[in-house]
Amino acid sequence: MSVRLVLTAMATAARRNTSDRSGVLVNAVFYVVVASVLSALWRAAAEANGGEIAGYTMVAITWYALAAEAATVSLNMRTIELICDDIASGAVESELLRPAPVLGVRISMAVGAALPRLALCVAVAAVLGPIVGGAPPSTAGVALAMPALVLAVTCNLVAQHAVASMAFWARDVRAIWFLYQKIVFVLGGMILPLQVLPDDLERAAMVLPFMTMAYVPSRLASGHVEPELLLLQLAWLAVLLVAAHAAFGAGERRLQVVGG
Amino acid sequence: MSPVLATMRTAFAEAWSNRAAFWTQVTAIVLNDVVWIVFWILFFRRVGPMRGWDRNSVLVLLAVLATGCGFTFGILANARRIGWFAADGDLDAALALPVSPLAHLLVRRVDSVHLGDIGFGVVLFLAVGDPTPARLAVFLFGVAVSIAVMTGFLVLTGSMAFFTGRTTMADMGFNAMMILSSYPVDIFVGASKVLLYSVVPAAFIAAVPARLIGDPGLGDAVALVVAAVVFSGAGWAAFTLGLRRYTSGAAWTRA
Repeated sequence: MSVRLVLTAMATAARRNTSDRSGVLVNAVFYVVVASVLSALWRAAAEANGGEIAGYTMVAITWYALAAEAATVSLNMRTIELICDDIASGAVESELLRPAPVLGVRISMAVGAALPRLALCVAVAAVLGPIVGGAPPSTAGVALAMPALVLAVTCNLVAQHAVASMAFWARDVRAIWFLYQKIVFVLGGMILPLQVLPDDLERAAMVLPFMTMAYVPSRLASGHVEPELLLLQLAWLAVLLVAAHAAFGAGERRLQVVGG
Repeated sequence: MSPVLATMRTAFAEAWSNRAAFWTQVTAIVLNDVVWIVFWILFFRRVGPMRGWDRNSVLVLLAVLATGCGFTFGILANARRIGWFAADGDLDAALALPVSPLAHLLVRRVDSVHLGDIGFGVVLFLAVGDPTPARLAVFLFGVAVSIAVMTGFLVLTGSMAFFTGRTTMADMGFNAMMILSSYPVDIFVGASKVLLYSVVPAAFIAAVPARLIGDPGLGDAVALVVAAVVFSGAGWAAFTLGLRRYTSGAAWTRA
């Protein structure tokens, strides 16, 4: 798939997404609410523990929550369900007729749709963060968190496509998005820093791909300047792309559509 | 049998018709809820009691929330679709019937995925809520208030689509309500806390009922009754007023 096609698909999805003004507003309000709640919870937790929790100060935990929510709120968490619907209904058949790989176009469009929302969340966080928690603990950390957020969103969307390809074999796997979402919640570090987990679970989470989807940008935004985390994201992205390509390709070969 | 009960029975039969999908969805939502138990256990294991809340009291909050949400989103599933119906002009079928349109709409659809929440909530309360007859009665009272407030608020925000033609308010109301009601209300301070007792009445969905179960008091009980009456009344009034501005979309199938 050519770079030009990827960029065209991303730009088309981004334009379509930003033209829905009320959708953009809902997304911004949703982000403010969820980020405020989570940061309030963790600040209260830090306050109850002498101003620090699992190595995160109250300011650091605020920026952790803001980044974690930006990484997840900016994408449609029901992407799995939507892909499953398209596969189960046979709607994906028309995409197979196009002279472009279905998976590549779908991922490009999903990432393109997510990026404007991500930019909006980052802009909101830049205002909200200093108000509720204080200035970011590290400028370098915030700078590293920007590409990490883009990679986090991309890893998440690619993984969702890999998981959703199960619909080629089992017709009704829509409910699986509930489970996927909750795995990202906990093992991805979305609602709690991985350092809060029991030691064994933390070690397990650190070697799973879900940590690239929320923990990595959040860890960086919370002032921990660890650039090697970006390399880890890139490595996992490559693995996830291979897995999604293999699963989708196998599924496409066995797709049977009755009627039209 | 009243028309509303007959409609509800039909909605249940429809949801139950695909057994495999029904059980898959119920299982998925229960697993989803279990993750919240895991989260709160991990949280309080690390943090300890916080602003008057500990692990058990938050799990009781979760039990009230799950049961209330299960009933509202499972049995009164159309409560969160009022805005879409209004914006799309999709209410014609309900308006032609000799029953209250709102009552018919609310019971017309059962969303089986949320029925798992009801079972999960009740079992969780029985497991961690130290269930005596008195506490069980307060739990049921709290769940009833939770359903009334949640349904009223969703109908109220959804009915704004009659006036604005858009579902933005309904979407924001739903999202805000769900998130804010899932956490102990005392983590918020100042204006945010006032908001949770007024504009977005999330405190009355789970936190105040859970507090009442743990520490029964007349003040909280009266506040819950007032919240239930105010928000269910406001939802009904907004829907009734909104119907006067309703424009048909010539669609007969979804309501």
